Amino acid sequence: MADSKVMDFIMSQTSLALISLLLTVFCYFGAKGLYKRHKVWWLAPILFAPVMIILLVFNLDIPLPTYFEYTHWLMAMLAPATIAFALPIYRERKLICQYPLTITLGVVAGLFLGMISTWLLVKFIPLPAELSKSLLVRSVSTPFAMEATGAFGGVPELTAMMVLITGIIGMLVCEPLFKLMRIRTSLGKGVALGASAHGAGAAKATELGQQEGVIASLTMIFIGIAMVLGAPVFALIFI
Amino acid sequence: MPFLQAAIRRCRHGALLLIQIGLFCLLSLVCHWFATWAHLPIPGSVLGLGILLILLISKLIPERAVQLGAAWLIGELLLFFIPPVISIIKYEGLFEQYGVNIMFTLVIGSICVMVGTGFVVDRVFRFERQLNIKKHARRHVKVA
Repeated sequence: MADSKVMDFIMSQTSLALISLLLTVFCYFGAKGLYKRHKVWWLAPILFAPVMIILLVFNLDIPLPTYFEYTHWLMAMLAPATIAFALPIYRERKLICQYPLTITLGVVAGLFLGMISTWLLVKFIPLPAELSKSLLVRSVSTPFAMEATGAFGGVPELTAMMVLITGIIGMLVCEPLFKLMRIRTSLGKGVALGASAHGAGAAKATELGQQEGVIASLTMIFIGIAMVLGAPVFALIFI
Repeated sequence: MPFLQAAIRRCRHGALLLIQIGLFCLLSLVCHWFATWAHLPIPGSVLGLGILLILLISKLIPERAVQLGAAWLIGELLLFFIPPVISIIKYEGLFEQYGVNIMFTLVIGSICVMVGTGFVVDRVFRFERQLNIKKHARRHVKVA
């Protein structure tokens, strides 16, 4: 009797929702700790944590609405996190004032190359409309991308997924590409990583060097802001 | 009692962190509410970013008042966007059917952005660095 009651409670929707939240947090911090100890690319939290959670949610048969009951509070933290980006801008104001031309051109190049490359590619590669629209903002940091994607008619969830995969790809291809293209300066590497692979790129850039990391974060933030502010205009051009 | 001192320090650190995160959430809520109320074309989060930046530059808020919270929020950004990623379970069919096309688009697109931006910035940076060195030299000549 007691056992079945316990089972009932465990299987109830509320507790499943709670389990989902704990699972998400645990997998994330677990992956982070593992990656700190073993620097293997497939253990990177950006890859390992989502894959683990998807597998668990799938195998435990947790319905999506239940999964989101508490975890949507994690998503709500994206807005305060966006505001927090003010601090790195303030801190690195000296660097920004030192290389205004480089940073501005890098931001403009990254922003437009991201949209134009997608726009051209989806012309030749058949993809459903909701997907191709979600792809336009893929090289922008998640909080900005999810905010901007609405203007293009994209789906925020699909956008988040595309942004995530883009980040992983950027992390993997950057080093051979830099060698091949002879991109050697710290700013070149940093801006390229921040522009193409946002947060994941910034993390990778920090591994390459301190200045690379700082400049990658700055580029990512500026491109994100430019994307959100310009989205209504860009949507007229690219849709 | 070094152990107790360490514990107190840790508690204070945790409390400060929580308060600062709370302040970020509050600012975010107020900005979101204001942006919707005033029908602003910019979302509340970006408005909040601008406001905080102005407050920091004008020294109305000292950097260390938001430092801990900002570092935590940015550091754990990935945790906040895991939930929307999980909802791709809903689009399973889409990924099964178009997986190859999606990956192709993403890989080629990412390479374009990285190579293009890197190439442009590499050149512009060398040029601007030269410019800065010259400017610096000129200033020194004047002083001398």
